[in-house]
Amino acid sequence: MPEISTLNPLSPFAAQISHLFVAMLVVLGAIFLLVLGIVTYAIVKYRDRPGAPPPRQTFGSRNLEIAWTLGPIILLAIIFVFTVQTMRASDPPISADDPLQLRIIGHQWWWEADYLKSGVIAANEIHIPVGQRWLLDLESADVIHDFWVAELVRKIDMVPGHPNHVWLEADRPGTYFGVCAEFCGNEHAWMRFRVIAQPLADFQRWQQAQLRVPPSPTGGAAAAGLKLFEHNTCVNCHTIAGTPGNQQIGPDLSHLASRTTIAAGAADNTPGNLYRWLKDPNSIKPDTHMPNFQLSDADAKALTAYLETLK
Amino acid sequence: MMSRSKLATSLFILSEANFFAILIIAYVYYHAIGGGGPTARNSLDPWRTGAFSVSLFASSVTMWLADRSLRRGRRRGHQLWLIVTMLLGAIFLVGQGTEYAHLILSGVTWSANLFGTTFFTLTGFHGLHVFAGLCALAIVTLVAQTGELTERRRQAFEAVGLYWHFVDGVWIVIFTIVYLWAFI
Amino acid sequence: MNQVMAPGAEAALPASEPHEGLLSWVASVDHKQIGIMYMLGALVFFGIGGIEALLMRIQLAVPNNHFLPPDAYNQLFTMHGTTMIFLVVMPMLTGFTIYLVPLMIGARDMAFPRLNALSFWIQIFGGIVLYFSFFDGGAPDNGWFSYAPLSENAFSSLPGQNYWLLGLAAIGIGSLSGAINVIVTVLDLRAPGMSLRRLPLFAWMAFVNSWLMVMALPVLNGAIVMLLIDRLLNGNFFTPASGGSALLWQHFFWAFGHPEVYIMILPAFGIISEVIPVFSGKPIFGYGFVAASTVAIAFLSLAVWGHHMFAVGLGHLSEVFFGAASMAIAVPTGVKIFNWSATMYGGRIRFTTSMMFAVGFLLMFTIGGLSGVSFAVVPLDWQLTDSYYLVAHLHYVLFGGSIFGIFAGIYYWFPKITGRMLSESWGKWHFWLTLIGFNMTFLIQHLLGMMGMPRRVWTYPALPDWAAFNLISTIGAFLLLLATLVFIWNLFISVQNGAPAGDNPWDAWTLEWATTSPPAVYNFDRVPPVHGRRPLWDLAHPEMADEAMERAARS
Repeated sequence: MPEISTLNPLSPFAAQISHLFVAMLVVLGAIFLLVLGIVTYAIVKYRDRPGAPPPRQTFGSRNLEIAWTLGPIILLAIIFVFTVQTMRASDPPISADDPLQLRIIGHQWWWEADYLKSGVIAANEIHIPVGQRWLLDLESADVIHDFWVAELVRKIDMVPGHPNHVWLEADRPGTYFGVCAEFCGNEHAWMRFRVIAQPLADFQRWQQAQLRVPPSPTGGAAAAGLKLFEHNTCVNCHTIAGTPGNQQIGPDLSHLASRTTIAAGAADNTPGNLYRWLKDPNSIKPDTHMPNFQLSDADAKALTAYLETLK
Repeated sequence: MMSRSKLATSLFILSEANFFAILIIAYVYYHAIGGGGPTARNSLDPWRTGAFSVSLFASSVTMWLADRSLRRGRRRGHQLWLIVTMLLGAIFLVGQGTEYAHLILSGVTWSANLFGTTFFTLTGFHGLHVFAGLCALAIVTLVAQTGELTERRRQAFEAVGLYWHFVDGVWIVIFTIVYLWAFI
Repeated sequence: MNQVMAPGAEAALPASEPHEGLLSWVASVDHKQIGIMYMLGALVFFGIGGIEALLMRIQLAVPNNHFLPPDAYNQLFTMHGTTMIFLVVMPMLTGFTIYLVPLMIGARDMAFPRLNALSFWIQIFGGIVLYFSFFDGGAPDNGWFSYAPLSENAFSSLPGQNYWLLGLAAIGIGSLSGAINVIVTVLDLRAPGMSLRRLPLFAWMAFVNSWLMVMALPVLNGAIVMLLIDRLLNGNFFTPASGGSALLWQHFFWAFGHPEVYIMILPAFGIISEVIPVFSGKPIFGYGFVAASTVAIAFLSLAVWGHHMFAVGLGHLSEVFFGAASMAIAVPTGVKIFNWSATMYGGRIRFTTSMMFAVGFLLMFTIGGLSGVSFAVVPLDWQLTDSYYLVAHLHYVLFGGSIFGIFAGIYYWFPKITGRMLSESWGKWHFWLTLIGFNMTFLIQHLLGMMGMPRRVWTYPALPDWAAFNLISTIGAFLLLLATLVFIWNLFISVQNGAPAGDNPWDAWTLEWATTSPPAVYNFDRVPPVHGRRPLWDLAHPEMADEAMERAARS
């Protein structure tokens, strides 16, 4: 059996939707079988055969018309009740004193995650504690994006000038795939992210690590890499704590080496891929806003070595 | 039963009404939100524009008089009233042109802010329709000078008259929303 | 017999001067020639849009593919959608309408023959403008919905987006003037006795459809004008950076866009409502209900645009309203499905290719309609929208619905238009290849969407089963290519060597079958008397005339 994420919910919200979806698939499937049955019966039974009598000319039936108008109305009324009920259950109303935990900002084509309580700024990987219900604020830095983790949470657009909110929760520890679900330009396909749900202690450990200012390397290629980072245009877009770089135009790199992927899911985070990315970003993610700086092999190696220290 | 050309003109007017409705909704939506920079209240002069609007409204009356003359078979009266209608319409356009020049010189342009964008789009498209109406009137007036009054021509005159009244009616709505609402 | 002149014949037509060769088409104001040109133009664009689809399917056949770069892929999906909607389905159905409505109502031509030609050429001009973009920096690449602010200068500085806006504005004006022409024609030029209650259902639906166009297309043109002002004059309508609203564009676009969905299906409903009765040997079941449900759908379609925006955060209250209105559309649509099924019931069904496509339509459209209900159920929409489930749904409606209906109509009226029959044996190959290819391409996309695959992605990671399912879909698309080649071949050989059709090869009942195939320039020598919905049936069976029988059945 294929793994169908919308039908394998791992949050109370997605579960509500999934239950309704399964019920609807049964109802809709039954209606299709009904129509299929009528049509099949008609085309088998009333197929033109030599010698068949001319068909009786009938013009309609008021009773039948009423039946197949009222029947669907009643069925839809029932579906409507469940619709409203599931809306409230899967997307519970937000009150003014619900604390905002996390602000997710969509950028072309990556995700910024600002932890409003701790001040952690992460990118493309969102760590949450298992079993806690977090309220998210969703915004966009440029065009419309959409936040979707099929196993955990409904789609919700990130519209510039129109902040949205949604609840995020995971029942079980694990890694869940998220995607941008609104077309947002050339690299819409590689605007993926991961939600990593952890037991509270693990989550807190992660949060502590993210808050630490990474130690500056003192020698070797990594130290050369730090110099390159500080003295080139890298700092115009990227933040690394403890360096002059403090912009959020590109992802925060302070703890890049702790992540599993680079370029919003376009490649695994390995030294080889990172080197390739620095040499020619387009070879990994065509049309990315990360420029090709024509780095020499030595410079790219030094930068890779430095970034690999940012645990 | 409506004549064929009047029916088609009415349908065209219905589609035009839908088009203007969208422009009006955009104007109202942003007007309600507000924002910095020039606004209807601090940029527009309802008295001056009101005076020019009277000219446009009067042109509807003269259009009606032209139609009436035609129905009563007074062809000279018909031609005369058509010319008066055109003049009144032209006066309205001159008013709009000078208003635009004044606004643009004082920095209220279509790119200045949302008021500028929505104001010039809405009133500009209306002005374009008045201009199109003037062109149609000019053709009709020329045609009215020559030849016989056939049924086809009569229908064409009717259709242009209907369109002109519509252009007028739209201005009542726009003037109310853009010029009067801002000062209430 | 008291036959009458066709209405509109009293006035001499503008271009009765005979032209030769190509000029006889370019200079034509004859509704039949213009209708044929609409259909041929749509067929050419169907080929282009199909090639665009195949290129996309090749790119998606395997994960992490680099057959196409992302900007090329985005241009292709934008042009595929825009082409299929505005340059294939709409003009194809308009072609049927322009060709058939005057014949069906016993008229000499459209109410405004010159305007008719103008509408067609404006529409072609719009198509050329749209495609010229390829030669000026690249085609538009923001989707057929062109959401702001992605479609604004800040994010799309190339002129492709402007070509999209200008091309669509032209197509919108052309379609609108055509729609006005159809409405006036139906209201003004019906043969004596052809009351609105006796109007053939295709003409009914084309008529209602034209009203919908008059309501919806100006909304598109209004929105286009605003986006153009933003792009060319630095306006602020949809630019959040200067206070504009990204959502206002969506409201405007879908206030047009959802009626547009019905503009693309209502005439296909009309085709099915002609084809199924004729090949079942019975009148349509519940004529009044089929016609009235069309009107109901048209009205409801104006109030459901919000269901395209359930993910934007409209608030539950508006979502509940739009969800309920969208569910309500399922009722009149269901009425149609049941009436078509009941028409076949108790009939004597002839399985011509046309009828097979009509039955195919009935079942495929039912799937599309039912999956559509899952988008009216708001929470399901939250999960399924903008996923491949939606891609599957819309193709069941527009391909399984509109295109199947168009094929049914082509096999049905080709003999009238050309005077020759299409080959039935090639036709059956065409039908089965289309049915299998279509389901292979799109059925599995429901699953891909449920598995979390978003739409409009130029490539995707190698997640479990994604590669296999996408490959199956791509193979299905190539079956559709094969089916279309069979169809083109069938058109090509039949137009030259098909069996002569005669006036009325199907024993059909509406007025277009009362004249020669192809009809003379003036359509009818004399229009047969109209005393019911099936004038030719009444002529052939005066003892069983429809209205007398219906009265008898009721009392």
